[in-house]
Amino acid sequence: MRQLFAPGADAVLRLALLTVSVGAILLLVVVGAVANSDYISGVGIAPRQPVPFSHKHHSGELGIDCRYCHTSVEVAATAGMPPTHTCMTCHSQIWTGAPMLAPVRDSLANDDPLHWTRVNHIPSYVYFNHSVHVTKGIGCSSCHGAMDHMQMTLRVQSFHMEFCLQCHRHPEEHVRTPDQVWNMDWGAPPDQAVRGPALVAKYHIRNAAQLTDCSICHR
Amino acid sequence: MPPLGFVARDASGQWRRAAEGDPAALALIRERYPAAADLLRTPDRRQFMRLMAASLALSGLAGCDDDTRDEIVPPVNQAEGSAPGSVLTYASSALVDGFANGVLVKSRDGRPIKIEGNPGHPWSRGGTDVFGQASVLGLYDPFRSQSVQFDTRESDWAAFRAALAGPLGQWRASGGQGVAILLGPSTSPSLAAQLAALQRAWPQLRLYVHVPATRAALYEGTRQAFGRPLETHWRLSGARAIVSLDGDLLDPGPQQVGAAREWADARHAQAAADGLLEMWAAGPVPSLTLAKADHPLAASPAVVSAMAQWLLARADGRAGQALPPDARRWCEAAWRALDGARGSAAVMAGLHAAADVQAAVQRLNASLGNAGRTVLHTAPLLQQAPDLAALASDMAAGQVQALLMLGVNPVYDAPCDLDFAARLSRVKLKIHAGLYADETALNVDWHLPTTHPLECWGDAYALDGTACLVQPTIRPLYDGRSLPEIVSLLADAEPRNGLDLLRAHWLGPDATPAAEQRWKQALLSGVFEDGRSPLVTVQATAAPAAAPGPAAGGPTLVFRPDPTVWDGFGADNAWLQELPKPISKVVWENVVGIGPALAAREHLATGDVVRLEAGGRTIEGPVWVYGAQADGVVSVTLGYGRSVAGQLSAGLGYNAYALRRSDAPWDGGTVTLHRTGEHRTMASTQDHTTMEGHDFVRVQHLGAAPVGDGAYRPPTLYPDHQSDGRAWGMVIDLDTCIGCNACVTACQSENNIAVVGRDEVLRGREMHWLRVDIYQSTAAAQDAAPAEAGSLAPAHFMPVPCMHCEQAPCEVGCPVEATLHDHEGLNLMVYNRCIGTRACSGYCPYKVRRFNYADYSAGAAPSIVEQRNPDVSVRARGVMEKCTYCVQRIAEARAASDRDYTPIQDGGVRTACQDACPTRAITFGDLALPGSEVARAHEDPRRYALLGELNTRPRTTYLAARAPAAGDS
Repeated sequence: MRQLFAPGADAVLRLALLTVSVGAILLLVVVGAVANSDYISGVGIAPRQPVPFSHKHHSGELGIDCRYCHTSVEVAATAGMPPTHTCMTCHSQIWTGAPMLAPVRDSLANDDPLHWTRVNHIPSYVYFNHSVHVTKGIGCSSCHGAMDHMQMTLRVQSFHMEFCLQCHRHPEEHVRTPDQVWNMDWGAPPDQAVRGPALVAKYHIRNAAQLTDCSICHR
Repeated sequence: MPPLGFVARDASGQWRRAAEGDPAALALIRERYPAAADLLRTPDRRQFMRLMAASLALSGLAGCDDDTRDEIVPPVNQAEGSAPGSVLTYASSALVDGFANGVLVKSRDGRPIKIEGNPGHPWSRGGTDVFGQASVLGLYDPFRSQSVQFDTRESDWAAFRAALAGPLGQWRASGGQGVAILLGPSTSPSLAAQLAALQRAWPQLRLYVHVPATRAALYEGTRQAFGRPLETHWRLSGARAIVSLDGDLLDPGPQQVGAAREWADARHAQAAADGLLEMWAAGPVPSLTLAKADHPLAASPAVVSAMAQWLLARADGRAGQALPPDARRWCEAAWRALDGARGSAAVMAGLHAAADVQAAVQRLNASLGNAGRTVLHTAPLLQQAPDLAALASDMAAGQVQALLMLGVNPVYDAPCDLDFAARLSRVKLKIHAGLYADETALNVDWHLPTTHPLECWGDAYALDGTACLVQPTIRPLYDGRSLPEIVSLLADAEPRNGLDLLRAHWLGPDATPAAEQRWKQALLSGVFEDGRSPLVTVQATAAPAAAPGPAAGGPTLVFRPDPTVWDGFGADNAWLQELPKPISKVVWENVVGIGPALAAREHLATGDVVRLEAGGRTIEGPVWVYGAQADGVVSVTLGYGRSVAGQLSAGLGYNAYALRRSDAPWDGGTVTLHRTGEHRTMASTQDHTTMEGHDFVRVQHLGAAPVGDGAYRPPTLYPDHQSDGRAWGMVIDLDTCIGCNACVTACQSENNIAVVGRDEVLRGREMHWLRVDIYQSTAAAQDAAPAEAGSLAPAHFMPVPCMHCEQAPCEVGCPVEATLHDHEGLNLMVYNRCIGTRACSGYCPYKVRRFNYADYSAGAAPSIVEQRNPDVSVRARGVMEKCTYCVQRIAEARAASDRDYTPIQDGGVRTACQDACPTRAITFGDLALPGSEVARAHEDPRRYALLGELNTRPRTTYLAARAPAAGDS
């Protein structure tokens, strides 16, 4: 009787098994890479906005303080988005006829709020509090990047949990003196290894074990 | 399969269910034990494989987060204090039957989301009840009436006013000839003044008041005793004995919040003096008052009446008439207590007690010197006018051509002998105003939607006569108007808005600066300081001969308001429907209550459907056998059997109004029971979540050795839990817990807990994070079923939230660390990690974990979504959830404390259940903070850990219930 399997059958089987296992691993790697990619997380993408507001112009060039518009950043969980009235405090005096600002003027005239597209997004089961971060020496740029260089506002961090954790595990690498919180160009000074722990003590920041309690962010 | 083990009775003889331990009942319990029920229907292998493959494939999708870019819409002009996430609190009132309980309404981002107690309110003193807690859901109810209807078709206010213009001219000319107003329960002084003014302008106008949970017997009793109708309330500080004859001191109703607090404070005060404020309570139907009494007695209405006369005779120095032996013993002991505490005791009767009992109780108080000290009176606070029976006879006499029904639903809840619907159809112009397009709205010409108390201006009295403010916390969601605004459509040439009407009443025509100041004060405190109804001193009139009790012949029918939907006003509220009734723990329907002796005679068991026949009319409902119900009494509750298609309440339960006569609203006389042969399985949560162990409820008898754990901590092989900094803990006082369920509803409101519906509750899938167990004692009904009058043993209520065990078994069970401890001692539940193995629930000895089987929160109406607390995650399908100690409130306080460098003060974090509790039975705080309230409660010799022998080291512990010295009853 003829053999059912040719001599090469073993090799084919091994090759098939190898292909399947390598393929499975490859699939996981690809899925992981895509899931973590900027394409999915939206990093570096500036969405279309009703008014092409430039943080570079207002904050970087004119030097308007962050807190002029984001009024509740030091006292509340949300930093706050400026009501149309805040825009019009200046724009009722300057650039009053600029076509670019028509939606703002219409908003005020018609009592119809502006619909901004959200840039920075965290999932609904994460509860972030701006006030406690900025008062404990974490600057805006640590999460939002150098806003004063952004023509259009874009996302610079994926806000995956590992991003939050790298700071909650090692806050001493990221804390700043209070005057530096609003500095968009802040980089860790050479002696951060000495300053950091001192600042952590000064701000009464909890230890890493406490800061990584689930209940710090999730409810 | 061996029996699903449970404990028959523990050493102290307490049980949760009458049949527990009875071998014959094993099958029943197994059937009711939801997990076991599901096991009986195991799918075959192929179906199993298919299900597993499908769920594996889909579980990946379910985990996906919808990360769509959403919008930020800042306002055009931001009002002060309205920053995103800002919380504003308004002092307002929650209404029960027109009476007020002072509350604080928490409004977040402009939306009222939670009712909190108002600690500064003189009556409610920080407490709330289920009706107040659930009212916030009522506001967002998408089934509320949203527009004016003419002949059940949508219309608008302009059309209504145009249609009214002609008749209004006639009425003004004729002085309201043929016009009648039927008002629901209202204590509003401004509305009363408005109606009085209208009656002055239209002398022919007839005013009637319809209160389904009628207080007529209370007023009639005071009229007989003191010569005029009066409102009764209590000040129990310093009280040394309480005797309740069919009383409702602790039961749901307008009196509950304030009276329960008075009782709890007095009980603590007596305990501090090494005594015990003992309560003697007798009543026909199991109630919270009867359950919490130290000397409860089941007694039929006729016996209660005889007992009242017996006590009154003793007070007058006469010999009492013959009583059944148990009632006699009870009366003698109660009399000794009353006699020994003259001037500092209180005798009380509930709104459903007969007028002769009410009169005897009032005379007793006057004779014992309690009146004016512990028992106080004011003028009647409810709007007084002829009742529905008077209206019905006037309608029959053709004297009513136009009828305005304001905040009432008489087509549903009119007594059956009035034939109201038929008489209504002969009225020419019928106008109805109400929150819902209810049964009455379907039978009228014009239906007008009213505003919810959370969205309109108004005022109301609390039971003690405090004048309270109702203030809006949001613009009306729909096109409704408040009752005063609707009356203004008739009374004023140019209709006025609710704020103007209310200010005109309280500030007078010219608002002086002083009056303005008082108004501002009222806005802040929720109380009109100058509007209190004054106390009245009473003088007993000569007692007429006591009416003989009615002859007993067959079982007596008694009516009671339902403990969760009351007279029907809560029937469309899903939280109230799914709230377990305090004694039976039945949800989503009402039952026919009978005692065990009657059940044995009639061969009836819980679930048998019976037909009740009284006066030629019948209703059908399922039987519930209450161990603590007097023999010869059949109890039915109001509020169910609604018929408006499409409403939440439609088709639930039976309609007890169909047997209720206008001359006997609470005691319906003789009733006959007929078996129908049908059996109905009711959804009762009492058997779900059964714990194994012993000594669940401990009782501290007066003068006995402490039953608490003291400083004893069993040794353990595990390392001690390391607490660095705060250590959150809770202590629940079983002595003052009255089982009112306010905490359960508060928890549901605060934590976005889903409603699952009757079918899911039948499968044991209710989602309440906090349950209230009831324990009854073996000495009670089961073995010696009460006859017409029979002594009972006290019942105990035990709220069971998550224990936050320091050595938590659930954490060992979780394969993905979705439940674990934080450094402040909280047992956390991380929803986004949970993969739904349910192992934690299996490992939990307290059975406090709830699994979301079917994404109950998804698909809620948009308006219901508006109610949700944005600080709490809305849990999805396949996730375990449980009490978090209100971690969102802790997190908020912690963030504020960190930000401002201020420590969290004792009382800085209050859980929702703690805040809601009318008797302050729940204490919460930081155990590591020296001198904190919860740390002091830990020192109480009554403190013990539930299932402490398992060495889970629970952070939630209990204070044993107090009881008279053993053998002294």
